[in-house]
Amino acid sequence: MNLDVSNVKKSFGGVKALDKCSLSVEQGKITAIIGPNGSGKTTLFNVISRLLPVDTGKLVFGTEEITLLDDYQVSRLGISRTFQDVRLFENLTIRDHIEIALLNTDESLLKSMFRPQRVVVKRVKEILSLVGLNKPLSTFATDLSYGQRKLLDLAIAIAKPHSLLMLDEPVAGVNPVLRERIKEIIKTLHKRGETILVIEHDMNFVMDLAQHIIVMDAGSVIAQGKPRDIQNNKQVLDAYLGE
Amino acid sequence: MAVVAQLIINGLIAGSIYALVAAGFSLIFSTNKFMHFAHGSSVVIAGYLLFTFFSLWHIPFYLSCLLTVVLTGVLGVVLHRFVYLPLEKKNASTVVLLIASIGLLMLFQNLLQIIFSASVKTIGYVQVAQGVSLFGASITPLQIAIILLSFFLLILLYWFMKYTALGRNMRAIADNKELAEIIGIDHIKVASLSFFIGSALAGIAGILIGLEQNVYPTMGTMLIVKGFTGAVIGGIDFVPGSILGSYLLGLIENIGIWFIPSGYKDALSFALLFIFLLFRPQGLFGINKGVRK
Amino acid sequence: MNPYITNLLILIAIYIILAVSLNLALGYTGLLNLGHIAFFGIGAYASTLLTQAGVPFIASFIIAGAISSIFGFLLVYATKKLRGDYLALATLGFNFVIYSLMLNWKSLTRGAAGIPGIVKPSFFGFTIQSNISYLIFVSVICIFCIYLMYLIVRSPFGRLMQATRDDEFGLRVLGKNTSVIKYKVMIISSFFAGIAGSLFVHYITYVQPNYFTLTEIILVLTIVIVGGIASLKGTIIGTFVIVLVPELLRFLPLGSSVLGPARQIVYALILLGILLYRPRGLFGRADLQ
Repeated sequence: MNLDVSNVKKSFGGVKALDKCSLSVEQGKITAIIGPNGSGKTTLFNVISRLLPVDTGKLVFGTEEITLLDDYQVSRLGISRTFQDVRLFENLTIRDHIEIALLNTDESLLKSMFRPQRVVVKRVKEILSLVGLNKPLSTFATDLSYGQRKLLDLAIAIAKPHSLLMLDEPVAGVNPVLRERIKEIIKTLHKRGETILVIEHDMNFVMDLAQHIIVMDAGSVIAQGKPRDIQNNKQVLDAYLGE
Repeated sequence: MAVVAQLIINGLIAGSIYALVAAGFSLIFSTNKFMHFAHGSSVVIAGYLLFTFFSLWHIPFYLSCLLTVVLTGVLGVVLHRFVYLPLEKKNASTVVLLIASIGLLMLFQNLLQIIFSASVKTIGYVQVAQGVSLFGASITPLQIAIILLSFFLLILLYWFMKYTALGRNMRAIADNKELAEIIGIDHIKVASLSFFIGSALAGIAGILIGLEQNVYPTMGTMLIVKGFTGAVIGGIDFVPGSILGSYLLGLIENIGIWFIPSGYKDALSFALLFIFLLFRPQGLFGINKGVRK
Repeated sequence: MNPYITNLLILIAIYIILAVSLNLALGYTGLLNLGHIAFFGIGAYASTLLTQAGVPFIASFIIAGAISSIFGFLLVYATKKLRGDYLALATLGFNFVIYSLMLNWKSLTRGAAGIPGIVKPSFFGFTIQSNISYLIFVSVICIFCIYLMYLIVRSPFGRLMQATRDDEFGLRVLGKNTSVIKYKVMIISSFFAGIAGSLFVHYITYVQPNYFTLTEIILVLTIVIVGGIASLKGTIIGTFVIVLVPELLRFLPLGSSVLGPARQIVYALILLGILLYRPRGLFGRADLQ
């Protein structure tokens, strides 16, 4: 589904994290947001997933305006995301994580106690093999290595029913082998027809991955277009290399 | 008119005592960022120390007071070094420290009960004096002394925090611990000192309360709840704020009994504590933005 | 059976219900509730007043739990924006407010004097008089409560409770409304505390505000922390340990005025010792955040 962000402003104290930020994400494409540190990329993600309220501006997902919805409501509409600083449930197992993500909305207590919905283990394993996390299902999150945590976070976001997948620096801090693997996973997802929005600090990672690139600096979009065009854009190079 | 004056004076007396408790509590909180509920124990232990030195052992009054204040300060440092610091080194959350401090409060309350029995102890240095009349209200010389001494001490504390190097270090740590450590302030040493000063203030509060109201073991819980409420009203990590909040609490409690039965005096302050925590956890004058995660 | 042991076992059964229900909120869901004893007290007074007004025991018992639940919901709803030690202190403040009401609302509670002569439980024309039959009665209820709470924590809902504790915002981003999860947990937790209060006062046939102070909070917190955060088994074993260990003091030559405080000192020392040397308790897996 399409996501449209228009004229969003967000300040922290006196600092403008997002300033008249407008962009759209097209269905079925990989869109990448790049930009130097502090350009407002993660703030934008937090605003879209409603972890932060906007000051002004409008967010539309598909046909629904989501500007004033709660974070969990936005998620239920089909926005799935990962975090740069991976957030897991430390005392739950890998299987718990995937199952929680797979089942949309189950705060129903009595049903959960006496007629629990069953998740087929096959489905859990499918998702784990897609991201290539080969650990026993009963491993606790707290016992995973950094790379494995990154993969589990990705697996959760994939497992959660969604029509837009937002990835916040999926390869930050991982080794080159894992980095290539994550790139392949994202490509596989794209082939399945998924709409993906990815934040990446490193320009090279997204050049042969994304179909559309959005460059942010100081809270605004300064350029966008096909990877080729972005590579040769002087404004972009300035933002990256500084004056 | 005389009744109003009396209520205001009673409010000021209560407020002075709460302020002394709250100032120490707040000072410790601002540099350590956890709630030292056993601060109430320091106050009541000071009362019992004075009782022991002066009433039982007949040590001269001012020497007894000095010993009491110093020992109470040392007690604070001991608690910091042997309970809180080891917990902090284990990365215990602030809630764990809070629960530990409530455990300490219970421990001391019951130790006092075993050593001194549950009955009320009178220190008996000041004879019950005839009150003097002030705007038609009656106030004893001791109560005047309490108000003046509190004012003096709190101004001294303010001066200390604002103009001495140590006070500046404390404020630096309260503001930004990491940054303060980078510029070379020894966090543990300053924390210990804040425990010493805060607890010594509790010691002075204990002496004044002991002289005015006598002492009993369960007093610590009540006092820390009042001091804490005052601190929350004013802004828990901002010492001057918590002092003002305590005076406000003393006045509200005492003027409140105009409108509601006096038995509800404590309920009123608990309700205030609850309301402030819900709607304005940073207090009236607090600088801390919003609710801590 | 020895009446002394019967008495201890009855108290243990009641404390198990109280402590396990606290662990449901505090341990499994990460709700730092230091006001659990208020719900115990509300249930105790509600059940007392209802039976005195002629309501049958069974109905009073259930309504006592329900009234506690209402307060539980109100408390968690009012404090929904607070976290960490601020939440802990607001709930502690709630406990103090309830205590003051018990002490001062004399037309209802008779204040510090308390209410004597509370009836023993009776249902279907049968009254529980002896302590042995009371023990059987509370044991059945206790086991039933534990079973219910076991079903809850083992269910997918129980997993969501733990996920709420570990990372609330992470869970909201997965489309779960954690506020509703917390409301439900507090409603359940305070319900069980309320019926534990009812069982308590109908056993000792007397109620006074002093049963619901900071001392009792420390007792039940110590049980949960000793047993371990998010462990039902731990809490059950912890209750036995915490109730029985101070009984050893009876074998020391202590006067009756010393015995009470000495018991409290033992609780406080156990609590501090566990926090310092074994912060996860006997069977805990998670830390108290």
